[in-house]
Amino acid sequence: MADRILAGIVLLIAIGYSFIAFTIIKAPFQYDPLGPESWPRILGVLCALCALQILWRPDVNTLGINKSTWLRLAALVVMLLGYAWGFQPAGFVISTFVFCVALSFMLGAKPLPAIAFGAVTGVAGYLVATGLLELNLPAGLLEFLE
Amino acid sequence: MDAVLSGLSQGFGIALQPFNLFLVLAGCFFGTLVGALPGIGPINGVAILLPIAYGLGFPPESALILLAGIYYGAEYGGRISSILLNVPGDASAVMTTLDGNPMARNGEAGKALSLSAVASFIGGTLAVILMSLFGPLLASYAVTFSPSDYVALMVFAFASLASLVGKNPIKTLLGALIGLMLATIGIDANTGVIRFTFGVPDLLAGIDFLVIVIGLFGMAELITLVEKQAAGTLVALKVDKSFVTLRDITKCGWTIFRSSFIGFFIGILPGTGASVASAVAYGTEKRISDKDGTFGKGDPRGLAAPESANNAAAGGAMVPMLTLGIPGSGTTAILLGALLLFNVTPGPLMFEQRPEIAWGLIASMYIGNAALLIINLPLVGLFARMLTIPQQYLTPMIAVLAFIGVFSVVSNPHDLYMIVLLGVLGWFLRKLEFSLAPVILGFVLGGLFEDNLRRALSISAGDWSILISSTDSIVFYTLAVLAVVVPLVLGRRKKA
Repeated sequence: MADRILAGIVLLIAIGYSFIAFTIIKAPFQYDPLGPESWPRILGVLCALCALQILWRPDVNTLGINKSTWLRLAALVVMLLGYAWGFQPAGFVISTFVFCVALSFMLGAKPLPAIAFGAVTGVAGYLVATGLLELNLPAGLLEFLE
Repeated sequence: MDAVLSGLSQGFGIALQPFNLFLVLAGCFFGTLVGALPGIGPINGVAILLPIAYGLGFPPESALILLAGIYYGAEYGGRISSILLNVPGDASAVMTTLDGNPMARNGEAGKALSLSAVASFIGGTLAVILMSLFGPLLASYAVTFSPSDYVALMVFAFASLASLVGKNPIKTLLGALIGLMLATIGIDANTGVIRFTFGVPDLLAGIDFLVIVIGLFGMAELITLVEKQAAGTLVALKVDKSFVTLRDITKCGWTIFRSSFIGFFIGILPGTGASVASAVAYGTEKRISDKDGTFGKGDPRGLAAPESANNAAAGGAMVPMLTLGIPGSGTTAILLGALLLFNVTPGPLMFEQRPEIAWGLIASMYIGNAALLIINLPLVGLFARMLTIPQQYLTPMIAVLAFIGVFSVVSNPHDLYMIVLLGVLGWFLRKLEFSLAPVILGFVLGGLFEDNLRRALSISAGDWSILISSTDSIVFYTLAVLAVVVPLVLGRRKKA
């Protein structure tokens, strides 16, 4: 079933992709025999055929994940999206601190070590990355310290 | 031969510059460190560290030396978690667990680690020697390839990929197609026509390679780690005082030698990397040497075979990447993408046009292999400590490294969402038994594949028969058919 769902989605994408390749993509005049549209057409059709084959003969039925694991994974994705959302406005140090505390706590760390871990990762990570490696990271809310 | 020697001396001139020497050592050290982390294989290690290495702004040869160091360092470090923890970092380390872990259980952990370090060293070094001998030959032959030959070569690469990687060839092919399709997004360089951007200006130049790599590999790995979290805690065996003796090595001498050659030549095949090599080497060795049924119960030869093979394959996989511009494995596809980021196009001309990169890299691999042996024998205890880092701290660190890498290179907050979404996609694909290496291979080769096809048909004014007009191309198509048919026949015979 799981296989079929993915194959179905891929099939839809492949159809949409091929549709664009067959109708919309066109060069103003012919530069080369194939032009910009032939290659995507080939790929789109092959991709649709592969997806059909998997729809016809799927080999993975379930993902074998129980409910609590799903919850944990959902929480992880939410945390990651939150981290991505806060990364620039809040700055590296603060967003990393919050993210690390939350994730390590969820994964079973005790509160105090989790906080210590988050603080060290945020501050040390920032100092090493910007100072030692000269990488560009957002200072965000802590900009006044610079 | 003269060309090889002069190339090597030029290469060593570059690799021995203090800064590059430092990068080799740093790459090997961090590579081993990352490789030793339970569950993180070389490809994920390279993926996570690639943007940071790129963001440091080194000249291309230095960055490549660093990345290659991380790559074979991680290949080296992977054995530590296989042996002590029975958890392979990636498919290529699975074979290492078969005899490595039993050895450690029998109280020979130290011996297993040091023996595998020596086997890896010999495998890696033999591969570099073969590479310095054959690489330039292959390159000078490949200079004559026409666009249609390249098309045939790539068909061969994808055919051997589809039949050797993963369980379901259709899924491998689909993965490669997804990669190829992703590569068509953006402006078509030949005509200036915009394809599949849906009006998003960020997509005009195509999807950023780093974002794809970090998302599909680094982030997907992170999600997998969290998924497996509940599956019980792992107990690492202790590193004891036992150590490899000269007698052990001579006893495994032929095994190591044979396996290194097998590994190197399988590594060269486009699309097949260390995982196939170590499996074939282990199987071969078992057939030749396993007279008393000791394989799988802690036979040193069963450990030496896959370890020398996968390091030799790591070197072998570099050969097609450097000489043809066609990567031999998922990880070398990432290295190839890294070169493209520096506007260096690997291919047959690289040995002539950018010798500092080609030979500098090769020379650095000689140094790196020796350095790995030297740092691995005494420091194995330190690396083994990596196994005891609690997962709850390790996992967030991966996300932090990925975010630092993507942001510092791309500096676009949208890409942070993008890597999370790609991570989810990559995780799903992995759960459904797709392997991700074909996707990245397709993405990296997409432009080259299309360009050569179009160039070939421009030459022939639209006549498709040009694709099978040269001997080289017919040889490649034959090899492609063999790559698909031979495993099918062998598999059927095994079943019968």
